[in-house]
Amino acid sequence: MEQLDRIATTTEPEAGAAAHVAVWDPFVRVFHWSLVAAVLVAALTGFLAGAPWIDLHVWAGTATAVLISARLIWGFLGGTYARFSAFLPRPGAVIAHVRTLFDGHGERHLGHNPLGALMILSLIATGLGLALTGVAAYGGILKSGPLAFAFSYATARGFLEIHELLAWSLLGLVAAHVAGALLESMRSRENLVRAMLTGRKQARPGDCRPPARRAWPLAAALSIVVLVAGAGFTLSALAKREIPGVPTAALDPVYVSECAACHVAYHPGLLPRDSWVALIDGLADHFGEDASLDDATTGHLRGYVMANAAQAWDTKPANRFTRVDPAAPFTITATPSWKRIHRDIPDTLFASKAVVARSNCNACHRDAASGHFYPGNIAIPKETQP
Amino acid sequence: MKPTTIGAATGIAFILALAGIASAAGGRDTIIASYAAAAGEPLSAERGKALFMGTHSSGKPDTPSCITCHTDNLKGPGKTRAGKEIEPMAVSANPQRYTDPAFVEKWFGRNCNSVLGRECTPLEKGDLLTWLSSL
Repeated sequence: MEQLDRIATTTEPEAGAAAHVAVWDPFVRVFHWSLVAAVLVAALTGFLAGAPWIDLHVWAGTATAVLISARLIWGFLGGTYARFSAFLPRPGAVIAHVRTLFDGHGERHLGHNPLGALMILSLIATGLGLALTGVAAYGGILKSGPLAFAFSYATARGFLEIHELLAWSLLGLVAAHVAGALLESMRSRENLVRAMLTGRKQARPGDCRPPARRAWPLAAALSIVVLVAGAGFTLSALAKREIPGVPTAALDPVYVSECAACHVAYHPGLLPRDSWVALIDGLADHFGEDASLDDATTGHLRGYVMANAAQAWDTKPANRFTRVDPAAPFTITATPSWKRIHRDIPDTLFASKAVVARSNCNACHRDAASGHFYPGNIAIPKETQP
Repeated sequence: MKPTTIGAATGIAFILALAGIASAAGGRDTIIASYAAAAGEPLSAERGKALFMGTHSSGKPDTPSCITCHTDNLKGPGKTRAGKEIEPMAVSANPQRYTDPAFVEKWFGRNCNSVLGRECTPLEKGDLLTWLSSL
């Protein structure tokens, strides 16, 4: 880390008009506002929009990771004010800076001041942490993306909790970052938000300036392309790996022809074995109808569902619907998880012509037959006519 | 698993007997004829219509009538309580109807129990198919 040099401005300010210097280069500015957009989309889809927006959320997270990776490279190959070496603060420098703020004669940094630098590092670290825990949770819980092969549902639940914690932290950091920029704008009587748009700041006597460094834009661009292409190649190779605990076979034809005569052919992974035993044993009074079958067919179906029940899989529904309502052990729509997940869906939609019944998964889940129930495959019908 | 093994065995024997007689071409007529033979009296489309359209209190409460699911427009599709479409019952709208004796027996077995709370007699089955085939 290099020491900040206190250099008197070389540009003599002319009377009445302050000289301006270019501080934030185009890369830093485009990076900053692109990151704002990506984080905004990720936050809106993550906190507010709900599960069907998962694909946009993942793309926003991917964009965040790409942007931060590029910024990391620019931190080593960029010009004077973009370099980490120009603003990585020692703890002592941060404390000293805070002291001068309270003394009322706070120094002015043309680049990031030590507190601002601390914020940049926190934002970068939190953003990267969100991307990493996000891709891990996405893999283990939704069995999608490059890490789907790597993590179990149970492990990934832990990643999701960290992801949520980091998301709230980022929200707090962003608020503090905006407050810091506004306060410092007032303190230094210069619009720092505009400076991040124009890249220019006033040059004043006594400014703290880092030592001048030349930028290596070609080397940086090349490094970014190599990094992103390499990461993309690696991740897409990982995404092609076999995913344990995910059903891939088509549903048994006998199961489909018998069960789907009356209703959706629910994937056997949606209920645990005990539930299937109760269901098969009770076919003569099946949800208020006689659905009995000859012994040979019943035996075939029993073997199929027992081999493919929830215990055989690690998908989200297989994990969630294992806890059934004891009073209705094979009613998927009576499980606590099902009710919680669907609590915002109005009764009128379930009763609509397009859906008919709660039990009609296919009406909204385009991949219901596969047993995956990926949230991005939800398409809630518009029609609400009863 | 109460529906007795004797009942199932009789059913299977009956199905096999039906299947043996039924030729691919005249499958439906053969099925109806075998019900008529078992009933021992002439079949009636009128009686079949009354049974199909009627409301019954002896079966399961969710299915008081055949038209609960099949609707009263038999040339159009019906709908199960779970939202699945049922192919039309009228032979004019669905020529494949009542040509597979095992299929016919399976659904009579289930649906008579659901709607009436008992098995249908050969006479009732024959009446129903006679009426549905005439539509």
